Amino acid sequence: METENGEGQVQVHLKTKQEHYAVPDVPYAIEGSVTTTELNIFLNALLQDKDVGNVDFDFLVFDEYLRGRLCDHLREKAISFEDAIEIEYVERFPAPEPQDCLLHDDWVSAVKTRGKWILTGCYDNTINIWTSKGKHKLTIPGHTAPIKAVDWISLDDEAGRFVSSSQDQTAMLWKWNIASNAVECISVCKGHERGVDSVGVSPDAQRFATGSWDTMLKIWSAELDDSAEGASKRVKESGVRTPKMTLQGHRESISAVQWMDGTTLLTGSWDHTLKVWDLNMEGIKTEISTNKSIFDANYSNLNRLIVTASADKNLRLYDARTNRKSFIFISYLFNFVTSNNFTEGSVVRNTYLGHNAWVQTVMWSTTEEFLFVSGAYDNQNKLWDCRSPKAPLYDLLGHGEKVFDIDWTNPKYIVSGGADNTVRVFKSRKAQGEDMDTK
Amino acid sequence: MAKKAAIKRKVKEIQPKKEQEIAAEESDSENEDLLQPIKDPGEDTTDDEGIDQEYQSDSSEELEFESDDEGNYLGKKNKEEQSGDDSESVEEDSESSEDEKPASVKDDGPSSSNKTITKTLQAIAESVRDPSKPEYEDSDTSDEEDIRNTVGNIPMHWYDEYKHIGYDWDAKKIVKPPKGDQIDDFLRKIEDPNFWRTVKDPQTGQEVLLTDEDIALIKRINSARIPNPEHNEYEPWIDWFTSEVEKMPIKNVPDHKRSFLPSVSEKKKVSRMVHALKMGWMKTSEEVEREKQAKRGPKFYMLWETDTSREHMRRIHDPVSAPKRDLPGHAESYNPPPEYLFDAKETKEWLKLKDEPHKRKLHFMPQKFKSLREVPAYSRYLRERFLRCLDLYLCPRAKRVKLNIDAEYLIPKLPSPRDLQPFPTVESMVYRGHTDLVRSVSVEPKGEYMVSGSDDKTVKIWEISTGRCIRTIDTEDVVRCVAWCPNSKLSIIAVATGSRLLLINPKVGDKLIIKKTDDLLAESPNLDVIDNERIKTAVQWANADTQEQEKGVRVVITHFKPIRQVTWHGRGDYLATVMPEGANRSALIHQLSKRRSQIPFSKSKGLVQCVLFHPVKPCFFVATQHNIRIYDLVKQELIKKLLTNSKWISGMSIHPKGDNLLVSTYDKKMLWFDLDLSTKPYQTMRLHRNAVRSVAFHLRYPLFASGSDDQAVIVSHGMVYNDLLQNPLIVPLKKLQTHEKRDEFGVLDVNWHPVQPWVFSTGADCTIRLYT
Repeated sequence: METENGEGQVQVHLKTKQEHYAVPDVPYAIEGSVTTTELNIFLNALLQDKDVGNVDFDFLVFDEYLRGRLCDHLREKAISFEDAIEIEYVERFPAPEPQDCLLHDDWVSAVKTRGKWILTGCYDNTINIWTSKGKHKLTIPGHTAPIKAVDWISLDDEAGRFVSSSQDQTAMLWKWNIASNAVECISVCKGHERGVDSVGVSPDAQRFATGSWDTMLKIWSAELDDSAEGASKRVKESGVRTPKMTLQGHRESISAVQWMDGTTLLTGSWDHTLKVWDLNMEGIKTEISTNKSIFDANYSNLNRLIVTASADKNLRLYDARTNRKSFIFISYLFNFVTSNNFTEGSVVRNTYLGHNAWVQTVMWSTTEEFLFVSGAYDNQNKLWDCRSPKAPLYDLLGHGEKVFDIDWTNPKYIVSGGADNTVRVFKSRKAQGEDMDTK
Repeated sequence: MAKKAAIKRKVKEIQPKKEQEIAAEESDSENEDLLQPIKDPGEDTTDDEGIDQEYQSDSSEELEFESDDEGNYLGKKNKEEQSGDDSESVEEDSESSEDEKPASVKDDGPSSSNKTITKTLQAIAESVRDPSKPEYEDSDTSDEEDIRNTVGNIPMHWYDEYKHIGYDWDAKKIVKPPKGDQIDDFLRKIEDPNFWRTVKDPQTGQEVLLTDEDIALIKRINSARIPNPEHNEYEPWIDWFTSEVEKMPIKNVPDHKRSFLPSVSEKKKVSRMVHALKMGWMKTSEEVEREKQAKRGPKFYMLWETDTSREHMRRIHDPVSAPKRDLPGHAESYNPPPEYLFDAKETKEWLKLKDEPHKRKLHFMPQKFKSLREVPAYSRYLRERFLRCLDLYLCPRAKRVKLNIDAEYLIPKLPSPRDLQPFPTVESMVYRGHTDLVRSVSVEPKGEYMVSGSDDKTVKIWEISTGRCIRTIDTEDVVRCVAWCPNSKLSIIAVATGSRLLLINPKVGDKLIIKKTDDLLAESPNLDVIDNERIKTAVQWANADTQEQEKGVRVVITHFKPIRQVTWHGRGDYLATVMPEGANRSALIHQLSKRRSQIPFSKSKGLVQCVLFHPVKPCFFVATQHNIRIYDLVKQELIKKLLTNSKWISGMSIHPKGDNLLVSTYDKKMLWFDLDLSTKPYQTMRLHRNAVRSVAFHLRYPLFASGSDDQAVIVSHGMVYNDLLQNPLIVPLKKLQTHEKRDEFGVLDVNWHPVQPWVFSTGADCTIRLYT
């Protein structure tokens, strides 16, 4: 009876990397049918004398989140019930709370935070600046077509600079004086032949890259004064800027541009490829072919992985270093990569199922190694842990329409804009234990 | 022989005495004979030549004697020679000095061949006995000589210890020839120049002097050549049978009819016999034998005739015998034991199953009678007889042969859809905004925008990736068809609304192209060719008025009847329109750059449903209600007529390579025509449950989609191979059914994204849907 249901006893070791939650390393025999809730109660009982209060934990079995019954999980992974199983527990990442709703006049297609400022791009051709508290600072008209992407170049107490790209085939460089709340267009970047869909600013804020529907990737100077170029005086006065570099290689629209470091660029395109460009070489360094159009790609400096969004409901995890055969981190992190991922192209590390529609945007956390957020046309944002491919950690509800862009640059806020003319701000707290760590 | 004689004489001179002594010891008669041979040689030669057998036999004694004498000599000689050989090979002490000299004196050739000669000697000694004469002439005598010694074919060393070496015909001992001592041998070696060619006959012990011919013969044999020196190996070849093939027959008589016509009389005879065998009038010998056997043995009979024998007569194979009735049991007795009688409960149960009597355990109620006399007549007798007869009549008489065919087996082997990815699998986007059914959709060649036309008299331009409606253009009539210009250097949409064809600049995409297009459409080129009356009355070109200019409309082409369809040529300069009510002017071709219209057909072949340009060749497809005609636009002639065998064609789409045509019909079918193969459909697909409204091929992927009134869009894999021998592979992949039904209409139009494997469908539910 016991073997049939797989509900026999299992020997487990409970481990954690958060030392203040450590329990003695003794094997415990527990029922195979336990779920996270029961494990939580059990663990809290063990931690009673430690005086940490009631903490919610998540449990990692073989580097994957436990989401159902333990026995089902083990069976799926084809792990023998006889072995002593190591269960790693981490404090559950606290649920982000909806904090604010910023109302716009039209669809919000781009959103970017820096510090306490939220920059949004809108389909009514305007750029808006908000504070994280939900106060509207400024509406900037200028473009003649819907804004597709925005990004901060620099921000300090007095002034900020940012770039916006639009379907009117231009990107615009703006300078914003915070004190006087005045904005000034430094220059208009002309060169693309179709709508500019994506923009990315280099980490040193010297340059920025734009990807467009005309399949070109262009690199521009982000300096206030573009004197480095030998442009004619007339051009300088008119504030029109020409690209420093034009990179050709994609066959379809470039939907995502991100700087991996000072000289390396990651682009994702509708032509089903991810490309890593080396700007010193002015060429492609790595190319990852996938079998779906990529709508957004994001690279994390923490774990050096790329997560992509595409028209089917899945998010996919890629490793750009696959071509260089460095699997060390991967084998440590994803030794559970199953064979069906390999059939899809050996570079797909994992697939995340959860959205019900076209996933439009995805972004890694800048502080948490394993977390990323995604926004999709099913009106939902989701917070994922890359070790939990079956289900997201949290669904961030709120949008009444498609989500176009999501941002988590500021670890305190998850900000997303959508077709319901709103920007939703979700406050994400750090895990309690981590706060204690940092202390 | 003369030589032999000479040798003999010499021998006599050297050792007359010794021989005589030995001979005298053996026998007197021989002793007497010894004198004779000296005279012999001359006679001998004369005797042998041309003298008959008897005479020979007479002289045999003499010959024998002579040879005996010879034999003695030879034996002696041989001994010497052997010892000489030995001394040469083994011990080279005493005689080496002696041997050296003769060897140096003699020719090198003979001495070296000497050993081989002795070896082959035994085999040929007989045959070369007397080579000076023709071989067969004195063969008899030589044979006689040979078998003088009667010991037979034995190893002669058996006689080593004896003084004789065998027996002659008279059973007398043949004495071994005397052995000369070494000095004699040596002397002979020096004196006799023929010493090297003397050999010893082992059987007789005599010495034989080989002639030059003998030596030549031996040499020839040694060198593996034909022994006869006169034999010519290279005689001219006589070609007895010619290698040339005769072209003409040697005789010209035709074969007789008999040789190829079967005989009629024989055939009749055979058929008569076959018939007789079949009817049993005639019997084969086997059957006759079997019958005889049966008559002889004991005979058995069936007591009851079985059903089967009759069935066999009726030629039913493997019959089923009629079901047997159960034997009557105790319950059926007129006086059953009390336990068989029904109690109240059983009776009730039996009565309850009145309506379904087959469920009863017994088909009657057991009854008890005091005596058999009291049993009444059975009331159900007739009915039961009838039912039994009916059962037998309806019962299947033969076992039915059931074909065990696995349904899987009949389905053609198709690849799994999983392997044919990518293809659209889910609905990704719904474009809402129209207020009436959406008739048509068309995608920009770059794939960023699309246009839709609806019955709410508007045209909408959408951004595909977000579902944003960028622009809505009001027209004055129902929009029946929209088509984005396939040339990416132009930014034009053709919109068929009512009887007007509008050329609209959508003002999306590259600004430069938008401006260029506007410039191009603003001015109308000067026409030096004057259209004829027929065209003038059908079509008028005009620039749009200012109000419409603002909306984006650039050129208006007014037709004389409502337009149903508009389609572009691949280059984007020509476009064709269809007016089903236009009779013989129902299909028109317009040229944009010259602002000219043409009416390609002067005669109406039927109600034109839709038209299509060939993607590569100057061909024009015209679909009427039942058939499709393909015209060559350059030669202005009909190339082919495709027979659809359907009642009403609704739409068609051509494969981008131009060799395959897909046709949808209102009678639920889709037809795939391989234009190179036949004018009949290569495959007919009945995938939809209702009228198929539209079909479309993808430009890059081997995919096609169909939309139907059953609200489904079916995506199929349609692979066309470059290899002409391989037929196209068609695999239905996915049914996408998300449209809602409204007024019996489902999906009205399907169209593919030009680059991505995404399909758009428009429906009667006022939406456009994107499947990815």
